[in-house]
Amino acid sequence: MKKTWFSTVLALAVIAALLLTACGATPEPTQPPVAAATNTPPPVAAATNTPPPVDTPVPPEPKIATFIWTQEFDTLNPLYTNMWFSSITQQLWNCWAWDFDEAANPRPVLVKELPSVANGGISADGKTLTLKLRDDLVWSDGTLLTSADLLFTYEMTVNPKNAVASTAPYDQLEKVEAPDPQTLVMTFKEAYAPWVGTLWHGILPAHILKPVFEKDGTIDQAEWNLAPKVGCGPYVFQGWESGSFARFVANDKYWLGKPKIDEIFFRFVPDDASQVAALQTGDGDLGTFISYADIPTLQSANVTMITVFSGYAEGIYFYVDPQKGHPALQDQRVRKAFALAIDRAALCKDLLLGMTAPAATDWDNTPWNDPTIQPYPYDPEGAKALLDEAGWVDSNSDGVRDKDGVELVLDYGTTTREIRKDTQAVVQQQLAAVGIKVNLLNAESDLFFSSYGEGGPAAKGEYDIFEYSTAFHFPDPDTADWLCSEIPSDEKPDGTNWAANCDTELDALFAQQRTQVDISQRLDTFHQITKMIFDKVYWLGYWQDPDIWAIGPTLSNVKISGATPFFNISEWELTK
Amino acid sequence: MGRYIARRLLQAIPLLFIISIGLFVLMQNLGDPLATMGGRMPTRSADRERLKRQLGLDKPVLVQYLYWLIGNNWTETDLDGDGIAETPGTRKGVLRGDFGISLVNRKPVLQVIGERLPATLLLMGAYEIVVIVGALVVGIYSAVRQYSALDHAVTGISFVLYSMPIFFIGLLSIYVFAVSFQRWGLPSLPPNGMFDPQVGKTPSQVALHMILPVLSLALISLAGYSRYIRSTMLEVLHQDYIRTAKSKGLERRYILLVHALKNAALPIVTIVGLDLPTLLGGAIVTERIFAWPGMGRLFLDHVERVDVAVVMAILMLVSVAVIVFQLLTDIAYAWLDPRIRYD
Repeated sequence: MKKTWFSTVLALAVIAALLLTACGATPEPTQPPVAAATNTPPPVAAATNTPPPVDTPVPPEPKIATFIWTQEFDTLNPLYTNMWFSSITQQLWNCWAWDFDEAANPRPVLVKELPSVANGGISADGKTLTLKLRDDLVWSDGTLLTSADLLFTYEMTVNPKNAVASTAPYDQLEKVEAPDPQTLVMTFKEAYAPWVGTLWHGILPAHILKPVFEKDGTIDQAEWNLAPKVGCGPYVFQGWESGSFARFVANDKYWLGKPKIDEIFFRFVPDDASQVAALQTGDGDLGTFISYADIPTLQSANVTMITVFSGYAEGIYFYVDPQKGHPALQDQRVRKAFALAIDRAALCKDLLLGMTAPAATDWDNTPWNDPTIQPYPYDPEGAKALLDEAGWVDSNSDGVRDKDGVELVLDYGTTTREIRKDTQAVVQQQLAAVGIKVNLLNAESDLFFSSYGEGGPAAKGEYDIFEYSTAFHFPDPDTADWLCSEIPSDEKPDGTNWAANCDTELDALFAQQRTQVDISQRLDTFHQITKMIFDKVYWLGYWQDPDIWAIGPTLSNVKISGATPFFNISEWELTK
Repeated sequence: MGRYIARRLLQAIPLLFIISIGLFVLMQNLGDPLATMGGRMPTRSADRERLKRQLGLDKPVLVQYLYWLIGNNWTETDLDGDGIAETPGTRKGVLRGDFGISLVNRKPVLQVIGERLPATLLLMGAYEIVVIVGALVVGIYSAVRQYSALDHAVTGISFVLYSMPIFFIGLLSIYVFAVSFQRWGLPSLPPNGMFDPQVGKTPSQVALHMILPVLSLALISLAGYSRYIRSTMLEVLHQDYIRTAKSKGLERRYILLVHALKNAALPIVTIVGLDLPTLLGGAIVTERIFAWPGMGRLFLDHVERVDVAVVMAILMLVSVAVIVFQLLTDIAYAWLDPRIRYD
C-alpha cells in the first residue's frame, strides 16, 4: 500500500525522536583514553643513541560542578546589584576584604587582620579605620591588587555619574586615603560601628575600569560589569550565556591556593520543581532556597540539606501609628495577646515540617540577642485574659471583641507566597478563637514591598498587621527600620519604618549602638534593644527563616556561611 | 492589492502610537522598579532618591514617555541632585531605533531581546510546525473516519489534553522522562535548559533539550487545533463540489488535499495567523519550567523587576508582529480564495 506523505513524515519524526532519546541519554562521564598496558616484552633493539620513550602522563579529568540558581544574575559588578544570587557568586570570582565563616565569625581575606582598637586599626574615637592589606594580592591577570583598587572602588561608588545600587556605607565616609599600596585609611563622619558587615563587598579593578570611566564618564555600561574576566577570587569568569548559564574556572593565581574544583557552572533554572528535578537527576550538584515540602524528596535522592541562618526571621509587624492605626494595637497587652494566641510551634511543625523553630526576635541565633529571651508560649486563655484586662470584650456577642464601639477587626496583609497564605489562614482561625477577627489581604511582592511614595500598601499603613521575612544587615545587627525618622510620610516617601513605631527610647538605643565600636558595649546595647522589642511586642516572630541549601552527593568538604556562603569554596571536593 | 497593503501599513502607524501610550501608562501600575533594587532588603531611602534621579524615574510620566519615544539627547538632566540640569541626555528614543537601557542589567534593550529571540523562535517555530502538521494529520483523519473507534479515542484524548494546564503536563513530563526514566535505568531526557553547558550548544544537544518543552506545549494546542480542523473538514466534505469531484473519479487524496483542505483552510489560516505573533512572546510558563532561555522568561523576569524599557520593547514587538501577521493572513486569504479581492 502506498504510504501517504503524511504517514512518512510522521514516522520519520517519531524515529528521529526515538533516536535522539537513545543517543542523547544522560551522558555518563567518559574517561580519557588511556594507553593500553601490555605484558609483551619490548623487542631487543640494536644499540643506538636514541633516548628511551617517555610515558606521557594522562591529564586528570577536570572536576566540574554545576550549581542551580533559580534567578539569573542581573549584573556581576558588585556596585550595581544587591541581588543575592549575584552578590554571593562574587565570592567565587571577586574578593571581599573579609568574609564570614559558618558561625558568622569574620575572617580576614584581603587584610592581614581585622582592624580593632587593640591593634590600632580603629581609632579611639571610632571614626578612623585603617586596613593593612596582604602584600601577595594579585588580580587574575597578574596585576597587583593594592589599596589603589579599594580607593577606586570607593570613588566609583560615591560618584554621582554612576547609578550604583547603593552608596551605603561609603556615603558615611568623610575621606579615604591610600598612603601606600598596602594601607587604606578611611575616616567616617562619625563613629561607625556596623563597618564589619557592610564594607568592601567586592573590589573593582582600577586598571580595567578607570580607563572606561575616563572615556565614558561612567562605568554604568562597562563591558566588565557583565563579563568580569579579571577578578580576584578563587575562580575566574569565563562566560555568561543569557538565560542559560555562567561559567567560572579555577584561578591558578589565587593567593590562597588554587581551588580543588576546576570549573563551576551556574545554570539558571527559575522553577522550583525543575530545580528539584535537576538535583534528583544529578544535573545539578547544588541548589538553594529549597522549599520545606521538597526536602524529603531530595533527601531520598541522597541530597544533603544544610540550613544556614542569614539573619532572616518571619514575623508580623503591628501598625501602631497613633492617629491612623487601630486603637487596639496601641495597647501592649493586646499585642501580647497576639503572641499568646498564635501557636507558632504548631506553624513550624505543620507548615514547615519541623525544620525550623519559632522566632523570638529578629536577632535570633546571633550574640546580639538578649540570651534571656524565650519565645512566647501558646496560651489562648492567657490571651483572652489580657484582652479582657485591656477592655476588649465581646459586648454584642457576635464573636468579635469590641471597645468603645470599635470592633477588634484588623486587616492582615502579606505577599502571595503560598506558605504565607497558609500561615494567614491558620492565624486567622487561632485569633478568631480568642475573639479577634482578621481580614486576609495579599499583594504581589513588587507591590507589597513598594514604598509609601509608590503606593505600597504596607508602607502606607493600609494593613493593621503585615507579615514578611525581615533581616538586619547580617552579620551586622544594625537596621534603620525602627527609627522614628524612617516613618514614611509625604515628606519622607521612602521611609522604611512601615510600622510607624516611634519609641524614643528605642530610637536612642539604635542611634547609640551605631557609634559603639567597642564590641561589648554594643552587645549590651543590643541586648536592651531586643528585650524592649520583645517585651513591648513591637514585632512578633513566627519562625526563624534559614536559607536551605541542597548539596548533592558528589560534593564534599562543604561549609556554608549565612553571610558569605562560599567562604570555603576553595576546599570543596567533587567526586563523580 | 498593493494599495490595500500600503493603506494597512499607514493605518498601523497611529495604531502603534496609541498602543504605545496605553502600554506605557499601564506600565506605571506594575509596581516600583526601585523596590527590588535593595536585594533581600527594602531599598534604602537615600538610594531610592538618588536612583530615581539617575534613572530618570523622577520625571512625570508624560516626560518619561516623551524621552522613551524621541530620546533625551536634546536636553540636559540633573544627575547629581544639585538642582542644575547640566548633564546631557544620552538616549535617542524609539523613533530613532534606541529602545533604551534595561534597568536590570544596564544592557541596551535591543541587545537583551536579541540574546533571547533566537531561542524563542526556535522553540516556538518547532512547536508551531509540530502542532500544524500533527493537527492536520489528526484532524483530517478524524474527519474522514468520523465516528470510528480511533476518532472517538482521539476526541477523548483531545478533551483531556486540552483541559490540562501546561505546568501540569510540563512537570509531569520532566518527572516521567527525566527523573523516573533515569531511576529505572532507561535512556532519559534532560529536565531543563537549552543544552548542557559542559557539552556545548550543538544541534543535537539543542534538539534533545527541545523535545520535552515542544511536546508539552504542542500536546495541548494540537488537541484544540485538531478539533477545529476536524470540524471545518467535516463541513467541507459534505459540500456538493466534493460529491462532484468524487463522481468525476478523482483520486481520494487529491480530493482531500486540493478540494477539501484548501477550502477548509481559511478558518485555520485565521487561527494560525492570530497565533504566530504570540510566538514572539514565547511561552512564559513552559520556558520557566524547562528553563528555556526565551522571550517568555525574559518578559516575566523583567516584569517582576518593573523594567519598563524591556517590557515595552517586547510588547511593541508583539504588537508590530500582530499587525504584520494579520496583513499576511489577509493576503493568504486572497491566495486561498480567489473570490476574495481587496481594493
